[in-house]
Amino acid sequence: MSKVVVITSGKGGVGKTTTSANIATGIAQQGKKTVAIDFDVGLRNLDLVMGCERRVVYDFVNVIRNEAKLQQALIRDKRVENLYILPASQTRDKDALDPEGVGRIIEELKQMGFEYIICDSPAGIEKGAQMAMYFADEAIVVTNPEVSSVRDSDRVLGLLAAKTSRAELGGPAIRTHLLLTRYSPLMVKRGEMLSVGDVLELLGIPLLGVIPESKAVLQSSNKGSPAILDETTDVAQAYLDVVFRYLGQERQHRFIEEEKRSIFGRLFG
Amino acid sequence: MSSPPAVALPLSGAAASGSEASARTSRRQAFDLKGTMASLTVLRLRSTDLALVERQLRVKIAQLPHLFLDAPVLVDLGALGDDAAALAFGELVRALRSCKLVPIAVANVPDGLRGPVTDAGLGVWQPPALGRARGAGDAEPADAASTGPLSAQTGATETPATETPATETPGPEVLRAGASAPAGPSAGAPSVRAPHAGPMVINKPVRGGQIVYAKNNDLVVLAPVNSGAQVIADGHVHIYAPLRGRAVAGAQGLAGARIFCQKLEAELVAISGAYIMAEEIPAQFHGRAVQIFLEGGECRIAAL
Repeated sequence: MSKVVVITSGKGGVGKTTTSANIATGIAQQGKKTVAIDFDVGLRNLDLVMGCERRVVYDFVNVIRNEAKLQQALIRDKRVENLYILPASQTRDKDALDPEGVGRIIEELKQMGFEYIICDSPAGIEKGAQMAMYFADEAIVVTNPEVSSVRDSDRVLGLLAAKTSRAELGGPAIRTHLLLTRYSPLMVKRGEMLSVGDVLELLGIPLLGVIPESKAVLQSSNKGSPAILDETTDVAQAYLDVVFRYLGQERQHRFIEEEKRSIFGRLFG
Repeated sequence: MSSPPAVALPLSGAAASGSEASARTSRRQAFDLKGTMASLTVLRLRSTDLALVERQLRVKIAQLPHLFLDAPVLVDLGALGDDAAALAFGELVRALRSCKLVPIAVANVPDGLRGPVTDAGLGVWQPPALGRARGAGDAEPADAASTGPLSAQTGATETPATETPATETPGPEVLRAGASAPAGPSAGAPSVRAPHAGPMVINKPVRGGQIVYAKNNDLVVLAPVNSGAQVIADGHVHIYAPLRGRAVAGAQGLAGARIFCQKLEAELVAISGAYIMAEEIPAQFHGRAVQIFLEGGECRIAAL
């Protein structure tokens, strides 16, 4: 059984691509054959974040247009077994995506035995984002703890309930998960950031995890190596929790409370 | 007068233009004869004391001038019972006109009054009469005028064209309820009231960008109405959850429509064209369970 999972948000810059890279890597590490598809045609990034940009020969659009075979476009990750990337085209725009072509490729990936098909959505709610969500069975909605991001996520949740294959064909509703990223307990405490509870109350979907704000994300993006591969960072720990939780294990939520500080920290902080 | 009464009351833009568009035929016709659904003010008389009626009417009109001035009115004599025969009908019409109302027809006309009614130039509203069930003796407040939606469905079936917002790629997802196809008067028991279909019930969150419209109906929402969402009903709007977006009741002008919500955090609430913006909502109602209704032509908020 394969699952098509869209990583989406509406708003840009909240961490969709980072999340796609880390979750795909984490799931593949658990022995599941996984592919991450970059739907951000024209602004491709996933290949950079996953460190395979120099190995892109053919892309998603080439396959849709029958200019290349799917096997030729798929890039096998060098670090993690079972992990593949289908990069976006840098030269086309999102009009190159159409439901027939996307549907055909997703079907083909299922036939090839991929268990998890992770669709990295572009920002916005236009064609690229709609194509990324159209065939989804599940959605991970990436949200930052601030009002505009929450509002955009709400809008996207509405689209997931209305403008997807499941909605149009009357299938069961898409399962939605909330992933709160760039979270800073300290700022929440100071009242400068929405809390987990605030966001959950506004969006009303189950919480998959909280990823703390961290420099490690930027560093790993620049290195082209998903943060989850360096288990010493809190971001890696948080994404590992998310992956295990997503695969059905119980994990306590972490990174929601401020870390315990020393007596000096409290005195001089 | 057995043919269907041709009460073609002009409706608001969308419906009217829709029927015109669909009326084009190969042969040029001088007119279209069709039935329509319209909201009408019904004046249900409870007294034959015309001085009293006129006095109360003037008070009522002073309160809501925009609703009643020059408004077409259907006079219902059903609640008068046998007293109706003794009514000085010419005097009544004069009183109504002096109050700047425009009587157009009379329902539940006793035989003895048919002459005076037609002499006054008014129509006799034929059997599909005003609901007998609501006749004399019910426990309504004794207002001289009771405004209510009189769903006057007559004659031909013409589905009012519902305007669909232009669906650009990410366009608003519109859910609609209610009378999509009026089935025409049933042969057996024609009735002016459209059969009650029950309110439209929504049990999932209404998210930003979504519009829910309960046409000719009440709307019940059992989940949050989020910021950027709109819930609209021609009748009442009930929200058993936080209202963070916009809510519109009485969208086609029903002044008695109300909005009820469990937690008021709205961006805008409107009833029959009058509205309150978020910043005009008094702080004491913020986050509270409230109802919103029209009073003196303005939206009022009251705690529940």
